[in-house]
Amino acid sequence: MHEMGIAQNILDIALSAAGKEGASKITRINLVAGELRGIVPLQLTFCFGLVSKDTIAGGAYLNIDEVPVSGHCDGCNSDFSIKEYEYVCPKCGSTKIQLIGGTELSIKDIEIE
Amino acid sequence: MKINVMQDVLQANDRIAEENRQLFEEKHNLVLNLMSSPGAGKTSLLERTAERVAGKLRLGVIVGDIETTRDADRIGKFNIPAIQLTTGTACHLDANMVASALPHLKLDNIDILVVENVGNLVCPAEFIVGEDYKIMILSVTEGDEKPLKYPLMFRESALMLINKIDLLQYTNFSLKEARANALKINPDIDIIEISCTNGAGLDEWVSWLTAKHRDKTGGAGHA
Ligand SMILES: Nc1nc2c(ncn2[C@@H]2O[C@H](COP(=O)(O)OP(=O)(O)OP(=O)(O)O)[C@@H](O)[C@H]2O)c(=O)[nH]1
Ligand SMILES: [Mg+2]
Ligand SMILES: [Zn+2]
Repeated sequence: MHEMGIAQNILDIALSAAGKEGASKITRINLVAGELRGIVPLQLTFCFGLVSKDTIAGGAYLNIDEVPVSGHCDGCNSDFSIKEYEYVCPKCGSTKIQLIGGTELSIKDIEIE
Repeated sequence: MKINVMQDVLQANDRIAEENRQLFEEKHNLVLNLMSSPGAGKTSLLERTAERVAGKLRLGVIVGDIETTRDADRIGKFNIPAIQLTTGTACHLDANMVASALPHLKLDNIDILVVENVGNLVCPAEFIVGEDYKIMILSVTEGDEKPLKYPLMFRESALMLINKIDLLQYTNFSLKEARANALKINPDIDIIEISCTNGAGLDEWVSWLTAKHRDKTGGAGHA
């Protein structure tokens, strides 16, 4: 259950960002999670509830925006979404593809009071 | 009030991993993060590898296990420094746990350091520990569709070893399907079919290992 470790990291980052602003409460955390990271939102929300309980982030809403996998083709310079892990350029058929979305796991912003 | 954060969630881990990586660089260690499901054959691979590289390459091992020190004992029999990290409930090794093992290893005397991660196809892929390469084992008793179910690990690995091919006839595992599925997720992945029981494919694996060590150190072998 790596969700626990991830929840702890989210909490640490949010608390430190809120601390710098002198916040008394964190009400919402906006997280961006790439599809490839395999985050289970329910589990993560549950774990976050546990670790944040006695902090100013207790009760904060953890909003998880899942980012689909997308790629860039070096051959024809096009961007496209990748479904079913089909790492092939739909335009030119090349397999020389850079992932441009789907692996991120970051906190975009937080809402504080 | 909304405040911008834009921070990678695992940056604390990644920062420690980078410190580990710099230390490995200094010590000329090739470092591999070895991952698989429980029981796919990670420790067996290390045992078979130890026999084959003895006198040529000096191995070191950090092994993560939930409770016991059994794996470290098995590897220790080959006169290889092996540090056991008992992870308790943790389902993976992270950079900090690996860092805590490093003072117990004489890195100057190690050519290749293998981190045997906790058996698990999900969590270990999330946490870099300072490795040069992630490598993984898929055993034929697990099913050839695993790459599609656990894409991150296959995506991140430089090499997939398909182990236990001696058991192929007792399973419905298709080598062709497994290869196709892994290559779909990661067109650059190297694939070697092995059996730690009868030794098939292990020479090819040792060649892969030796080549990566040469790439990293410019061929400066010891021993
Ligand atoms: N038939 C067969 N059995 C194997 C092979 N490789 C490993 N095994 C057996 O599979 C079992 C598990 O092997 P280990 O090497 O302990 O696997 P592991 O991945 O280190 O396991 P954990 O550390 O517990 O996750 C042992 O009973 C091995 O003898 C193989 O190539 N063929
Ligand atoms: Mg083991
Ligand atoms: Zn293209």
